[in-house]
Amino acid sequence: MRESPQNVTAMKQSYIQLSRPFSEDEALINKKLPKELFLRIFSYLDVVSLCRCAQVSKSWNLLALDGSNWQRIDLFNFQTDVKGPVIENLSKRCGGFLRKLSLRGCQSIGDASMKTLASYCNNVEEINLNGCKEITDNTCQSLNRYCHKLLRLDITSCSSITDLSLRALSEGCPSITHINISWCNNITDAGIEALAHGCRKIKSFIAKGVIQITDRAISCLAQSCPDLETLILHGCTNLEDKAVISLAENCKNLQYLCLSGCNRLTDASLIILAQQCHQLSTLEVAGCSQFTDAGFQALSRNCRYLEKMDLEECVLITDSTLIHLAVGCPRLEKLSLSHCELITDDGIRHLGTSPCASEHLTVLELDNCPLITDTSLEHLIHCHNLQRIELYDCQLITRTGIRRLRNHLPNIKVHAYFAPITPPPSAVNSRQRYCRCCVIL
Amino acid sequence: MPNIKLQSCDNEVFTIDYEVAKCSTTIKTMVDDLGLEEGDDEVVPLPNVNSSILRKVIQWATYHKDDPAVPEEEENKEKRTDDISSWDSDFLKVDQGTLFELILAANYLDIKGLLDVTCKTVANMIKGKTPEEIRKTFNIKNDFTPEEEEQIRRENEWCEDK
Repeated sequence: MRESPQNVTAMKQSYIQLSRPFSEDEALINKKLPKELFLRIFSYLDVVSLCRCAQVSKSWNLLALDGSNWQRIDLFNFQTDVKGPVIENLSKRCGGFLRKLSLRGCQSIGDASMKTLASYCNNVEEINLNGCKEITDNTCQSLNRYCHKLLRLDITSCSSITDLSLRALSEGCPSITHINISWCNNITDAGIEALAHGCRKIKSFIAKGVIQITDRAISCLAQSCPDLETLILHGCTNLEDKAVISLAENCKNLQYLCLSGCNRLTDASLIILAQQCHQLSTLEVAGCSQFTDAGFQALSRNCRYLEKMDLEECVLITDSTLIHLAVGCPRLEKLSLSHCELITDDGIRHLGTSPCASEHLTVLELDNCPLITDTSLEHLIHCHNLQRIELYDCQLITRTGIRRLRNHLPNIKVHAYFAPITPPPSAVNSRQRYCRCCVIL
Repeated sequence: MPNIKLQSCDNEVFTIDYEVAKCSTTIKTMVDDLGLEEGDDEVVPLPNVNSSILRKVIQWATYHKDDPAVPEEEENKEKRTDDISSWDSDFLKVDQGTLFELILAANYLDIKGLLDVTCKTVANMIKGKTPEEIRKTFNIKNDFTPEEEEQIRRENEWCEDK
């Protein structure tokens, strides 16, 4: 296509020193912009756009396939299409430039593809294989062999993974700081012990539903990895107080701890955390049904930085826990008390008038707290930052109470459900399931 | 407020508020190095920017002079292109030649905010288009042979919706 006269003029006026000759019909963008600015523009493009740019012309092909565009790749959007040859092409395209790769949900990716990838992309630092169910221990053997700079690995739901993988990682990838092995049900204490001995820089260890884990593995992890900040052991039901004691004694920087569903734990766990882990900001202990007010009292007195607490189904706690939280945890911003059936309006009164309430509290979950009445809602009217409140199955809460709360906090999301008292038989199908003041997410 | 004089490559002199000028790291460094002070008649030469582009750059910098410093991008963060303000978007409704020269000027003058928003604008001109549409947009000649084109199409088809 010929240049328009306007473009020719622009070219003549150009102040750029052109370092290479251009033919008359060269496009303006190619004439004006040097490679580094092209690459800057391309850095805003997604994988699809880059692949299309590669098909535009020879010079664009070189620019689009430049390694600097391929440092961070997320193929989550392409999971159904991603087959072996794609990974092979990608591996060659990225080579040593690849730093971060997400293959989350790419279910057809297998060990052979991962071996190719590992061998081409030695500098990769972060790999997400969440849900890549085909991969086995062979993939971790490849990482062991080629990817010594690996920092973060997510193998959630890769259910064929066994202890052999963790052993391979511990030997070949000693720099790992973040690892997620959730739902890898074949992993046992032996694998985690091997990992802990090799990868002593671990800061974040996530193992939801790895049901064979016992105190032995967690104690070993705690002793080998003193930098642990995030530990998520949701549903590791074999754990007992001994594991938490070892954690608390060794990992003083613990900030995010999830022990939900670990129902063998007792107040001894909370008390040792209170004594040793003053940096805790998130504590999730849903379903830890042996915890009592005594444990939370100790915690509230020592862990001033607590921001998020999930106490769902800590069925033994009473208003006393709320009184201590109100006094001791001024930064509390999210609190779940779902199914804490002994909580009453008096506990909410203390919470609502505490320093945290007006400053920070944004989410409060009170569903299935049967003793809560509209009085509780009145105690919350000064919580100006409250954005969401859960009130499902709070039988004593009325529409009027919610309306009054909304008068003070007009932007609050209230989740509640009111069954019609006597459903008119003629209107069964058209009855309104939710009251007008409810916002359903 | 002290003023500063900037001279474009075609010898036009612009007198502007130093507060506006210093959003260009290049100018700021020059002023610091030259030790220019208020009342000096020194002119800062900008041999890489012509007067029409410099006028646009000054217009942009005047509007944005009170913006907070642009935070360094996080390595791992996805880069967005859908966050261009409506003022910037109107400001950049210009022909392609001007847009590319603004990119070059922003790069030379080291004005990160302007460089980001101009590059994003070009990225948005590329996004969502087929290779042929991209060629049309920028007036680029397809210099592949049919065989090359077919091979490259096959290499890249994995990212297309089936």
